[in-house]
Amino acid sequence: MSDDRHEPESNDLERRLRAALKPVNPGEGFTAGVMARVAAEPRPARRPRSPAVVSWLAFGLAASVVLAVLLAHEWQVRRIEQGREARRQLIEALRVTDEKLNLAYRVVNSRQDAAPAQHSGA
Amino acid sequence: MSGDGECTGGDLLRRALAGERAAFGALVRTHQRMVFSLALRMLRDRHAAEDLAQEVFLQLYRSLSAVSSEAHLAFWLRKVTAHRAIDRLRREPRLEMAPLEEAQLSAGEAHSRDPILERRLRSLVAQLPPAARAVMLLRYQEDLDPADIARTLRMPVNTVKSHLKRSLAELRERMTSSGALT
Amino acid sequence: MKVFFPGWHWLAALMAALTASVALAAPAAMLNLPDFDALAAKATETVNISLDPALLGLAAGFLDSSNPDDAATKELIAGLKGIYVRNYTFDQDFSYPSAQVDLVRKQLAAPAWQRLVEVNNTKDHTHVQIYVAVDRGVANGLAIIASEPREFTIVNIVGAIDLAKLRRLEGKFGIPKLDLPNGKDGQAK
Repeated sequence: MSDDRHEPESNDLERRLRAALKPVNPGEGFTAGVMARVAAEPRPARRPRSPAVVSWLAFGLAASVVLAVLLAHEWQVRRIEQGREARRQLIEALRVTDEKLNLAYRVVNSRQDAAPAQHSGA
Repeated sequence: MSGDGECTGGDLLRRALAGERAAFGALVRTHQRMVFSLALRMLRDRHAAEDLAQEVFLQLYRSLSAVSSEAHLAFWLRKVTAHRAIDRLRREPRLEMAPLEEAQLSAGEAHSRDPILERRLRSLVAQLPPAARAVMLLRYQEDLDPADIARTLRMPVNTVKSHLKRSLAELRERMTSSGALT
Repeated sequence: MKVFFPGWHWLAALMAALTASVALAAPAAMLNLPDFDALAAKATETVNISLDPALLGLAAGFLDSSNPDDAATKELIAGLKGIYVRNYTFDQDFSYPSAQVDLVRKQLAAPAWQRLVEVNNTKDHTHVQIYVAVDRGVANGLAIIASEPREFTIVNIVGAIDLAKLRRLEGKFGIPKLDLPNGKDGQAK
């Protein structure tokens, strides 16, 4: 990376750059801010459980009802997870499509911009 | 590794993928310094950097299934942060023209051996064109090698090396002419 | 409010002109994508997305119509019957074998498919082909094959997609605008 003629100087400069560019913390409320925005994302609605009615005489029936509710809830949760996953995949697919269409545009543009003059750089 | 007890980064990722928001919060705490610092030094504006960094994590939350491992997560965060910052600079030229708020850019000066020189270096890096700036930050803040920088920025490796060489030369010249470096 | 990027007018206009002038028999807009195991074995990242009508419908159900970005996405995918993406990223320049890719190109040689765009940048070793499937003057499928030194992508969209609407989603909804300036900051010498 560094020019051989300036090697010791470049090493010194690079060392100082690393020291100068150490990462810094964001403000104190940063994580809370992110989680607040995440909380606003669609969440699966919790289906209220039917309260189990404990009765020696109706115990079998109650257990069946609770089991059916739990299974239905499980199905609901799984369905919601599948839906959220499908949504994520949809967004990713659209992002990739957009990116590659942009790529084609850039390639076309770079040919149109191919100018005789050299770019002088930074 | 994280602020979440004994959990490894891989555990956090798995739990976050399973929908556990607390685990996702721990991932944010783990990586927020890196994301925010990249954004800050690209955009030169603390408010804009916090906003962009939050958007990156929100996008991560939405795209978490695309992340396959902890290493991939770091790569993904750097990539999205850098691209978003470059895109934002193109859309908001005022960020490029805003006066450098050096107090915002400074970091850890109390522990720095030469705070004035380091502040000057940060200022010069912040004045580089966006793509060169991103390359320099990924190299000297994130310690990536040119191949990884090329992958992150979707740039040919030779272009990365060219940016590094020219940027270092420019920094050296400006530091030398101002007497900051001998 | 995002400025509508003018570059895509050419592509959307081209599609409109093509579909206005061409009337063909019903095309097979859905490609038969192979496993690409040779690419997957070398890739450091793989994105494999197959959203058939059922999954698209499920995804649409999780888009919030009261959210403008979600509503725009819902509108975009309303006419779609499938989205299929195969994307492979490599950690070094990789000359992937073309045999499996050629299986896809053979399908795109069918009369139902029209090649809209083919661009090639020999300097960056980037090659992009964009095809559209047309049925009775209506575009009902899109295919993109993009080859970059460290990335290979195939996208197949089945159904009518409005590229202008897709473009308007850029910068929103986690879809970043990624068209970096090309060569503006200097190229390797």
